[in-house]
Amino acid sequence: MIFSSPILALVGDTFRESLSRKIFWGFLGCSTVLILLFLLVLNIDLVEGGVAAVEVFGMEVNQGRTVPVEKLVGVVLGAVAVFFFTAGLFLAIFAAAGLIPTVFEPGRIELLLSKPVSRPTLLLGKFLGTLAVIGVNLFYLVFGVWIILGFKTEIWKTDFLLAAALAMFAFAVLLPVIVFVAVVSDSAVLATMVTYFVALMSLIFSQHERIAPYFDSQWPRDLTKGLYHVFPKLYEIGNTARLVLMERELASWMPLWSSGIFAVVVLGAGVWFFQRKDY
Amino acid sequence: MTSPGAVIETEGLAKHFRRTFRRQVVRAVDGISLTVEPGAAFGLLGPNGSGKTTFVKLLLGVIRPTAGQARLFGRSCQEPEARRRIGYLPENHRFPTYNTGRQMLEFYAALSGVASEERKRRAGELLERVGLDGWGDVRIGKYSKGMLQRLGLAQALMHRPSLLILDEPSDGVDPVGRRLIREILEGLRQEGTTIFLNSHLLAEVELFCEQVVIIRRGEVALTGRVRELTAGSGYRLTAVDVTESALSEIRGKAASVSSQDGMLHLDFPDREAANLAIDVLRREGVRVEELRAQRSTLEEVFVRVVQEARKQ
Repeated sequence: MIFSSPILALVGDTFRESLSRKIFWGFLGCSTVLILLFLLVLNIDLVEGGVAAVEVFGMEVNQGRTVPVEKLVGVVLGAVAVFFFTAGLFLAIFAAAGLIPTVFEPGRIELLLSKPVSRPTLLLGKFLGTLAVIGVNLFYLVFGVWIILGFKTEIWKTDFLLAAALAMFAFAVLLPVIVFVAVVSDSAVLATMVTYFVALMSLIFSQHERIAPYFDSQWPRDLTKGLYHVFPKLYEIGNTARLVLMERELASWMPLWSSGIFAVVVLGAGVWFFQRKDY
Repeated sequence: MTSPGAVIETEGLAKHFRRTFRRQVVRAVDGISLTVEPGAAFGLLGPNGSGKTTFVKLLLGVIRPTAGQARLFGRSCQEPEARRRIGYLPENHRFPTYNTGRQMLEFYAALSGVASEERKRRAGELLERVGLDGWGDVRIGKYSKGMLQRLGLAQALMHRPSLLILDEPSDGVDPVGRRLIREILEGLRQEGTTIFLNSHLLAEVELFCEQVVIIRRGEVALTGRVRELTAGSGYRLTAVDVTESALSEIRGKAASVSSQDGMLHLDFPDREAANLAIDVLRREGVRVEELRAQRSTLEEVFVRVVQEARKQ
């Protein structure tokens, strides 16, 4: 393999490492099953811009009603997008949490640090490598589903690709949490647990307006509202993807840029800690 | 104080660890000042837990010093650029097993800034040099411990370093492999590469290094040229058929007299006494078999230093 810089070398190494892991192949397997499902199981009959019949496993699901093809594609792609934001994100965190902490293993980190590469570059290389591994998997699934559905319905909905990019963004927002915890603790298990916890809390805090009435005093309301602004906004990112697919206008870009800031700050903290850590 | 041209230079280098939940401070390295000149073969010795590995990690910027300074090629060892001309083979390394030998060499060379074409060429060349030709495309997971050591050495040489820091390079290597490693290191030394060797095999260090430092409890217990450190005081004279009259004349000048296999061994405290004894023996027509300066082995020096420090 040809690498022109340490970053590329680290990205390539992360790819090789991911290929040796069962979780990577499991991820790829799940994507392939989903693609094959669309390819072989879903049959769509088109009549004058509408869908006359939709068959799944040979069974008609629209019960003779004609559905606008655009609507059908929107629903199917929406379901796939939901998969990205739930199972996809869950699997991606699980896979990534195994890739980052291996760098800090005794006997491996000393050799990496003995090279003329700065610590931020090492961490950034591993971060980008992990992002690229998950990105390739997502790209495979997204493109597979998009192409199959495009050929079957003759509708090429590019908004779906944007929704997939948002799913990737949601992962990129959580990956710094994995990096930070892995740097501090050297533990893949703890990195996984904390990242799931952050994701869960993010979903809870996104409902801060709904849960506020259940608090007796003001300070818990202020606290949840404050934490909502600090934590990444996964729910809102998912909702943005939904709005993109439904071709509706976005109410605010705040969930995206504030989540981006969260990612940069946490990654920066990880780099800061890594630079000061003894191995 | 800086020594111009020094490859390694430390000044009052210290690393203290604070134990969690205790107030106890462990002084792993405690004020080591050391200079290694270009082209030297320098041995780092010390009992287990003496601070050798911590010292090496300080040199490589893997850990940060509590006090003092460490410079490599005149640059602070905390600067990544200071490590550009260093090849390092760690002890207890864990090379990623998902790589083949060739991929591993190319990966670490890329981190050292070696260009793509050069990496490919150099990997093949070094695999052959360390006796692993034919193994380059095999996953590292299938390598034996000795093969991993040789691959580790090849990794350290990929970017043609000026300084080689080796932590137990012969660990787990069979005698043939050990000899191969010694020959490679000897070749590198002749080419002018500075070699900093941390090894428990004292005979190997004595054979290869010109200078050593012995560390104990994080401090320099002894440093100097191997030849000077192992030089003993006195001479041993071996002769056969020593007459009674000659023996009675020289016995008083000898520190000890012993006989073995028909040979008489006489130890003299200095050169004058030995020469006087030779004069007497020659006058009496006694055949002198051998006269040699008494030397200690590095192991004896090491044990003595460590035991002396224990008594203090």
